[in-house]
Amino acid sequence: MNAATAKQHGLARCQHCGLLSAMPARDQHHLARCPRCHAHLYFRRHHSLQRSLALCLAAAVLLIPANVLTIMTVVNLGQGVPDTIMSGIIRLWQADLRAIAAVVFIASIVVPIIKIVALLLLMMVVQFRLSLSKQQCTALYRFVHLIGRWSMLDLFMISILVTVVSLGNIATVDTGPAATAFAGAVVLTMLAANSFDPRLIWDLEHHDKH
Amino acid sequence: MTQQPHLHACPDCDLLQTLPRLESKKRAHCTRCNAVLAEAPPRLPQLSLAAGLCGLILFIPATCLPLLQFTLAGQTGSNTLAEGVLRLWQQDFKLLSLIVLLCSLLAPLMHLLLNTFIALCQHLNYCPPSFSRSIKLGNFMQEWSMLEVYAIGILVAYVKMMDDGEIHILSGSYCLAGLMISLILCAQSFNAEQAWQFWQRRQT
Repeated sequence: MNAATAKQHGLARCQHCGLLSAMPARDQHHLARCPRCHAHLYFRRHHSLQRSLALCLAAAVLLIPANVLTIMTVVNLGQGVPDTIMSGIIRLWQADLRAIAAVVFIASIVVPIIKIVALLLLMMVVQFRLSLSKQQCTALYRFVHLIGRWSMLDLFMISILVTVVSLGNIATVDTGPAATAFAGAVVLTMLAANSFDPRLIWDLEHHDKH
Repeated sequence: MTQQPHLHACPDCDLLQTLPRLESKKRAHCTRCNAVLAEAPPRLPQLSLAAGLCGLILFIPATCLPLLQFTLAGQTGSNTLAEGVLRLWQQDFKLLSLIVLLCSLLAPLMHLLLNTFIALCQHLNYCPPSFSRSIKLGNFMQEWSMLEVYAIGILVAYVKMMDDGEIHILSGSYCLAGLMISLILCAQSFNAEQAWQFWQRRQT
């Protein structure tokens, strides 16, 4: 029984409730339902690579306006200082708020790039059958899942600042167009990570017919 | 379709394996990729319900009370969780405002409500038809609930504005901290497999 996958035995694990059940014959695949929770049953997520790649590329494209356009403008006594993501971080660094600058840098620059690069790497491993350690690939996938949400940090900070700093003529904070692009990129990378099926990495070991 | 109760498939690598007894260890891991396969039932079954109710109570002050207060040249501004979303909507960033609404308000609230509902049903031994849908929706909401990121956002905003004027952390932030602890306890003590088995028992 060792080193055999559920798929090789015609068993499928429900993605919602985790129940293992036998898949019906091939011609009825599209009708298969989990006997416990009635969710659609399948061996692997359908079109996992295509979906994940499309979402990843869309996120990568959105990261360009997100980093080039202004994300936030602090208006102080009528004078506005537009900030991009990077210039905001540099400003924090220069103001000697280095720890916070590092946190924002990791959350809004490093994490989205790592996520996209890591997902593309995982897709390449599956598509071109690269012989990388499968344990490490799975660990990378879990890491991508874990860090994904932390990119929202900058957006939450903006939503806090626009309300806290609304002092009429003295000081206000305005949101910039980059914020929407950045939010889009974060959501798309999260969806891309969700549509990637890590079991595909391990399928390489078994030379399954696709 | 036959079910295979004695066998488990790893969610991350699909390896078939039999689980060890879970009494001694708290979790069973996949022998190949180390994914968590199953968790022992929680020692305090009521903890999930208690944490959920506590979180729901704390949710009201955490969203209604101001989180931060900023003073500059005699003018004072403060914010609540909901105001941040509203302000983004007013500034015509509707998509952004909806994403922030989902991640910081709607998803945590739904996650708490559904987990409390599921725990309450198990406690009262009552299984409504919406039980299985609640578990699925609760899982989805848990994934999009990002209150812990929001809390760090408060901290970053606080440090960022420290030099520009007077900034204070108000009572809402403390309620939010309590809410976060309840959310973490609620998620940790929630055992999905147990809930599904409860659902299955009541179906047959």
